[in-house]
Amino acid sequence: MVLTGWEAVFFWIFSIAAIFAALLTVMARNTIHSALFLISSLVSVAALFILLRAEFIAGVQILVYVGGVMVLFLFVIMLVNVGSEERGSEEIFNHSRQVTTSVIFCALLVGGLLYAINVGYEGLQKRDETAVAVAAGQRTTDEQNLPQAATGSSRITKETERVGNGLYRYGSLPFEIASVLLLVAIIGSVMLARTLKQEAAVDDTAPEVLQAEARHDPELAQLQTISLAPDENAIGTL
Amino acid sequence: MQLALFNLLSPVFGMLLQAEGNGRFAVAWEKAQHPDLSKFLIIGALLFIIGVAGVLTRRNIIVIFMSIELILNAANLNFIAMSRYLQDTGNVNAVAGQIFAVFVIVVAAAEAAIGLGIVIALYRNKETIWVDEIDILKW
Repeated sequence: MVLTGWEAVFFWIFSIAAIFAALLTVMARNTIHSALFLISSLVSVAALFILLRAEFIAGVQILVYVGGVMVLFLFVIMLVNVGSEERGSEEIFNHSRQVTTSVIFCALLVGGLLYAINVGYEGLQKRDETAVAVAAGQRTTDEQNLPQAATGSSRITKETERVGNGLYRYGSLPFEIASVLLLVAIIGSVMLARTLKQEAAVDDTAPEVLQAEARHDPELAQLQTISLAPDENAIGTL
Repeated sequence: MQLALFNLLSPVFGMLLQAEGNGRFAVAWEKAQHPDLSKFLIIGALLFIIGVAGVLTRRNIIVIFMSIELILNAANLNFIAMSRYLQDTGNVNAVAGQIFAVFVIVVAAAEAAIGLGIVIALYRNKETIWVDEIDILKW
């Protein structure tokens, strides 16, 4: 796999954009800015996916990450926005000792990874030299046979078809398990995010817990007097 | 055309190239014009490290979640680069990497939903999003 020509130019543009956007995500003071930089990093990585001919994954990345997850993030940021971080009265990083340690750790990790990638890739090239050369010839003839797109400048690939085939042939069980995982996530986040008042309304909380809470929450106590039988404790707090 | 653009973009690099001749810089420049699997892996590694640094250094729990998204995205990039490499070694149906990437995206979405639910519940009870103040479990 060697990119040439314009693909190489776009590779460098998008990879540098992805890395700078990721850096700014971690370093931005305003959380909203962090989220927006993360969106641009994700979009740049989606462009890299297209360069790797994984158009389906690029589309899923844009739809799920940028369209779904990041919107959720922005909503939560606006719900819990504290503002002290933006104004500069709160430190955005941990204590300096922790930051120093983690930066040293990350530098060691990046050194090790870069060394391992270089050495490992040389070995991989040596191993697959002949297979790649044979496959390259096959690939060019295959690409000549693909149907032309309507614009005439590109060809219609079969990558998405192959991904779909693989997904339903070899990954059908994990696919079903993933749907169960999403269901659990939906139910779990609804359960986690609801308030005690909502819990009292559906009447599935132990009455002792509710009474204990009602002692310092007048709103809840009021709700309790409506939904439950009159109780001396609750009336006392009213 | 693209070669001309490369040279246009880099007058300084071009000068260095003249001075260096066929030295190490020329080799590096030649490699940069033809990015291969290792370049994608390096980009993935850098994104991963930036994510790890974000998790370790930031205090805002929402930014920590975003850094985790960065880490998962770097893993996806590696999966897909490897999948493309395997396709180029002759097996056109080697799309296991792309299938894995789909599942990683699913898990990331579920994790974000649960995690942000926890953040909201935590903010309602403790009124803080700073991880160094969230220490109920600390003994």
